[in-house]
Amino acid sequence: MKKMLPESELARDERFVRTNIEDRLFDPRGPKVAQRNTGPARMGVDRPAAGERSRSLMHGIFVGEIQALEGAGRTCYDFDDETAPFQLKLDMARQCWDESRHCEISVKLGDHMGAEIGEYTESTFLFAAACNPDPVLRLCGVNRALEGLAIDVFNSMKDFGNESGDPVLEFCEDWMLADEVTHVKMGSDWLRRLTATDPERRERALEFQRTVDAIFNLGGFRGEDDENPIQLARNFRRLAGFTDDENDSLAALARESTVQAREMAEAASAALHASAQGS
Amino acid sequence: MTETTKPRAPFAPWDRRELPGLFAVEESARRVGNYKWAEMRLFEVLGGWVATIPELDVKLMLGRHTYHHAWHAELWHKRLPELREMNPDRLTVPPNDAFVTFMDAIREPEAPELTIEKLVGVYRVLIPRFIAVYTYHLNGTSTITDAPTIRSLKFALQDEFDDWRDGEMLLQSLIDTPEKVERAGRRQMDLERLYLVSGGIAGPGSLGEPVEEVRVS
Repeated sequence: MKKMLPESELARDERFVRTNIEDRLFDPRGPKVAQRNTGPARMGVDRPAAGERSRSLMHGIFVGEIQALEGAGRTCYDFDDETAPFQLKLDMARQCWDESRHCEISVKLGDHMGAEIGEYTESTFLFAAACNPDPVLRLCGVNRALEGLAIDVFNSMKDFGNESGDPVLEFCEDWMLADEVTHVKMGSDWLRRLTATDPERRERALEFQRTVDAIFNLGGFRGEDDENPIQLARNFRRLAGFTDDENDSLAALARESTVQAREMAEAASAALHASAQGS
Repeated sequence: MTETTKPRAPFAPWDRRELPGLFAVEESARRVGNYKWAEMRLFEVLGGWVATIPELDVKLMLGRHTYHHAWHAELWHKRLPELREMNPDRLTVPPNDAFVTFMDAIREPEAPELTIEKLVGVYRVLIPRFIAVYTYHLNGTSTITDAPTIRSLKFALQDEFDDWRDGEMLLQSLIDTPEKVERAGRRQMDLERLYLVSGGIAGPGSLGEPVEEVRVS
């Protein structure tokens, strides 16, 4: 078997439908949706679409967990013993087991919430971050950026479970949250160890992490305002080893993305309005 | 009141452990190094295969088993310095080149249509041999002097038996046509031939007396 499997070769059964991140961002229906005043984006039980949105998010978690499992597995395989130390591979193998359990949990939770496998599309950007040929950059992109995002997602879902009176959802999200904190700590630990004598490589890895973080802030998906569906979980991030400076800078990046998303939506709405006037 | 000064035998009457064993320290360390090498190559490929397997139940099982074999490798890694091998990497080696050829063949399938070939290699050829070689070591080594190895062997064997059952059940559910029976059989035969040439996970003598060199055309 070859080393370095491209994301296009991820194996799925016929239920799965793949989209790419550009298709989502430039979906022509987006501006029309943005014209509607649907209120705060933060997940709330009083929102009419709360059930649908939480099912969609749960499916997103499920496919994200599959890719996290695949990414950790590839890190066990793709590198020789010199490029990736034995202990790093052991951590990745442990992560495989954790992600495998998360897949099981999210399939059962999806079922519990009324969603079916393949009901929503899958974007494979998470696995793309796990294809980086440098194990340090790979761990920074996956274990610090994406698993950090998972902390925010699981915390938001846990709160949603609590507010909606769903103890099963709250219980499971709390367990997965515990694992994600561990995964982020692994990422931080290996970043420190493998770049102890190579500050340039460390900076490259952190820059890659910022790029991945920025992509998942796109469209104001994550932040600290009511406009953001997923809330930044500062306390759990702190537990996972992120400094307050790192959390502040991520929050600032998220605010910037939210403003950009708002401006893009306004511009698209204006363009739609103008074309409607002209016709 | 308990009589604290009354002498008691150091071994209870039912404790039948004995000092003699088949392996000296060096031989035990050599075998443990071979086990670690094989468990490493196995957990790496199980992890690598996850992304190439479309069947969800198989994918998730491999994620779980990846960790089991990584943990076994870690157990052997920690045992090596206790067997006077202060540089564990020195003994983390295959027993011979033929065993490398065998492991390369186990790890070779990649395409998503080859799940049966992947699983047959691991669950019908390699893991049954891990069970055999670990059991041989467990039954043959000194039950007193090599007790730490025995403890690790028992943990590893528990996983191997459970994993073998998981893999075999999935294989039985995947092999649902006469053509697939033949595919599985051919794959098993090809790999067993290569294994035979290598002499086993710990080389010739993996299960006892060193055997004559075997040539298979």
